[in-house]
This record gives sequence, structure tokens and C-alpha cells, in this order.
Amino acid sequence: MKELFFYDPMCSVGNDFLGKRSSSTPGELLAEMDFYGIDKALVQYNNLAGAGAVYANKWIADFISSDTSDRLRGVWCLLPEQCGELPDDLFSAMSEKKICALTLDPFDHRWVAGKYSIGKIMAEAAERKIPVLMNYYNRKWEELYRFVETFPDNRLFIHDTTRHGTDRLVRPLLEYFPNVYYMLTAYWVPEGIRDLAVLYGADRLLYASCFPTYNHGSMMFALKNSGLDMASIAKIAGVNMQNLLEESWGK
Amino acid sequence: MSIWEDKNTLAGKFWSNTVVEDCPIYDMHGHMGSLNTIYFKRDSASEMVAHMRRAGVKRLVFSHHHALFDANLRNAEVHKICLGYPEELRMYVAVNPHYPSHIKEDLRLFDSWRPYAVGLKILADYHRVKVSDRKYEYALSFANERRLPVLFHTWGGSSQSGYEELRKVAERYPDLIIFAGHSIYGDWDNAVKLVKESPGKVYLELTAIPGVNGVIEQLVENAGSESLLLGSDLPWFDEFQVIGGVLSSKISDEDKRNIFYRNVEKLFGKNW
Repeated sequence: MKELFFYDPMCSVGNDFLGKRSSSTPGELLAEMDFYGIDKALVQYNNLAGAGAVYANKWIADFISSDTSDRLRGVWCLLPEQCGELPDDLFSAMSEKKICALTLDPFDHRWVAGKYSIGKIMAEAAERKIPVLMNYYNRKWEELYRFVETFPDNRLFIHDTTRHGTDRLVRPLLEYFPNVYYMLTAYWVPEGIRDLAVLYGADRLLYASCFPTYNHGSMMFALKNSGLDMASIAKIAGVNMQNLLEESWGK
Repeated sequence: MSIWEDKNTLAGKFWSNTVVEDCPIYDMHGHMGSLNTIYFKRDSASEMVAHMRRAGVKRLVFSHHHALFDANLRNAEVHKICLGYPEELRMYVAVNPHYPSHIKEDLRLFDSWRPYAVGLKILADYHRVKVSDRKYEYALSFANERRLPVLFHTWGGSSQSGYEELRKVAERYPDLIIFAGHSIYGDWDNAVKLVKESPGKVYLELTAIPGVNGVIEQLVENAGSESLLLGSDLPWFDEFQVIGGVLSSKISDEDKRNIFYRNVEKLFGKNW
């Protein structure tokens, strides 16, 4: 019998234009997930930076619509409200197409993320408790701090893939911003996960793979050996993520 | 059934038991002590050894951060630390090219530090001196004469520690055992090339790689698992991370055993 339920919120699909490949079909991704025992995943487009949000959002919607397993949900990418590049009724469209979270890449897509550009969307996302994945702020800590200060009511999922210990950078955000959640993608000190859970609560931590940069299995083993009790491990593995999505989208 | 549920595989056994008796683990790349740029959960010998015991790591070979990044802690002090943990700890003698007198003084003591001292550590990128520079000549000649391993920090594209530099060292010192730390990270084709150009002399050490999707698989396929060594950079990363990274790679259990312990035992024997 499977010991833990895993929900991966940080998974990218499709090939990017610089040669970084990932699963092109739901079947390929599900086979990869099954190899390690991942139950569900939030997926975003691997070439979002290169292809842009308009193309990526359609690609992901098509990908999710071709998934017959009902184990996958999509992530859409934000753009400024003023240009009309997103659906008029964004959140209804997300619900219809099984898109459960948002992300944004203002750096590659050349805009400034703040109240003027996405204030209304972020206010509604906060009200609806919709997760916003901050993966394109990876390594951009000063920009991330500013964004978190601007949108403290939003559920923001942060991570860092440098593997160079991030405690000095992450802990202040976890202490002062209760809506910040930390995805463990490249937090490569498994017993340090326990410390974060003791300090800020296991509810604030999320297993995440960052596939295809990392495989799904490495962080599963790390979490299992974090030294936490099994109830906390289960929360971080998948229960937290499942609950967060149910709070925003229902069961 | 996932790899973790299959109890006939190493992955399944480690998932259930943490420590697997017939699969010892040697960590060939560690450090110790604090460092300027990073918070460490633990960095003292006692804390690190306690962690190793929890993870079932039989032995760690390390170079002390303070011997590498500060000229005031000398290798003799590191040897004393090892004496406190004779089963778990072995040391690389840290080589700082900016202090040639220290190199000579320390290597004069090398034989008296055995069996704890097993080789040398060279950190060219951080010390900003190419590995082929004559400033390392005394140390590398010493290691070459004794057929000692030298753990080089290597990185793809580095002008200090990349493939071209390592190739020069391999040619100049034919009996040197090269541990290419981080496997010339990112320059995988040249890492494989280096192994093939110097058969039996070059080992690719895996620190920072376990968990990175597909890289261990690529190195095993092209260089062979017989040329790979496990490393963690402890206390940067911890043992559960690297063990999980190897277990989760799509290679055979025989390959995993080579990485975890067989290659080291072929080099050093079972009692080193």
C-alpha cells in the first residue's frame, strides 16, 4: 500500500526553445510521476519564458484538456491587465479549463509587476485564495521581497533552485508573511526541512520537484528522511497542496 | 508500483530502512566549519558525524572550510579533529596556492597523518589560480609520486578548473588519481572524455548532481558507473539528499552500489 500522497505543484511540460525537454503529453508525464509515486501535479509550460504567456496559456489548456486521468491541473501566466491579452473573465476561464494556479514572468515578458499592472487580478486572486507560483522570481530575491510586500494577502509559492542554502533569504519571508509558502524543490538539506517546520509550521511547506530540472524522486526521499513525524511529512508531501486547492476551487 | 514501493530494489530497501546493511556508503566530498555565504544547519564534527550515523554513511572524506578559506586554520588541526572520529572521518589536506610555505610544511607531515589523510584538495576557482599553474606543482608532484587522489573542485566552462585545465594536469602527472569534484559540472561530454582519455585515473565525483534530472544516467551510460564517486559537500547538502538522488536515478542497482561503495573499496580496500 502506498505510504504517502504526493502532490507536485512545480512541474513543467513541453520542450523549451533552448533544448530543455520535458514531457510532451499527459501520458508521458504521468508515466514519469508513476515511476516515483507522484499522485497529482500542477503543470506549467516549460517554454513560458520563450514563447510568451498567450501561447503558453493556450498550450497548457490544451494539455490539460487531453488528460483523461484527472490527476493534472494547469498553471496560467499573468500579463498586465491593460493590454487585453488574458480572457475577460479570467477566473471563470480558469475554472472551466482546470487551471488552478497562476504564475508570472515579468522579466522575460518585459513588464513591471505591481499594483498598477496586475492589482485588480491579484486582489481577486487573494479573495479566491488562488496560489501564485513565484518560480520566475527564482534567484531574484530583492524583486521577490518587493512583490511579497506589495501583495501580502496573496498566497505566494516561492522557491529557489540554486541549491546554495537559502535559509538567510527564505526565513524572513516565512516569519513576516503568513501567506508565503515555500516549495522545497532545491532545498537540499532534508533535516533542515524539520527546522523550517518547527519554526514556521509544516503547513507552510510544500513538496515540489521542479521537474524536468530535477527528478521527482530525490526530494521525496529527502522529505521522508527529514526527521519530522509522519503527519507533518504527509502534510508537506501532498495534503497541504490538496487542501490549498480545495480552499480555492472546492473539491 | 513506484521505485520506493519495490522492496526488491535498493530504492525500496532504503525507503523502508534508511540504513541498508549490505550497502555501505562512502561520501568522498565533504567540508566542515562555517562559511561566509551560507547558513548551515550543522557544521561541527560532532553534529556532522551524528548526521552521518543517522543516514548510515560509513565514512566521509572532507576538507575543512577554514583551512580552504582562511589561512589561519592549518591542516594539523584538521588531523586532530579526525582523531576524535577514527571510524567516520578522513581528510583531504587543503592546498592553498597563496601560501607555498604552508603547502611544504603540511605535506612534510602527510605521512604522519595517515591513515586519516587520504589525499589533497584543490579549490582553484575560489583561490583564483588555474589547476595547471606552477603554484600547485609541489603539491601535485607529491601526490603523483605517492599515487594519491586529489579532489579538484571542477566546473564546466571554468578557466581555472574546466576540462582543458584538468587535461593538462592529467598529462603532466601520469600517476595522479584525479577526483573531478562536481564532474566538471555542466560540461558532461568533456567529463566523460576526460575519463576515457585517462582510464583508471579519473573519477567523476557527483556533488551537486544527485537529483538533477538525467545527469547520473548520462554519466553512467557514457563514462560507466565504475568511474563515479558519491559526494555531498556536507554541510552544504546533507547525506539523505545525495543518497535519495542516486537512488532515484534510472540506473541499475549494481551501478548504484558502484557509486555508493564499490569504487571506493576498489581504490582503498575495505579498511582504510
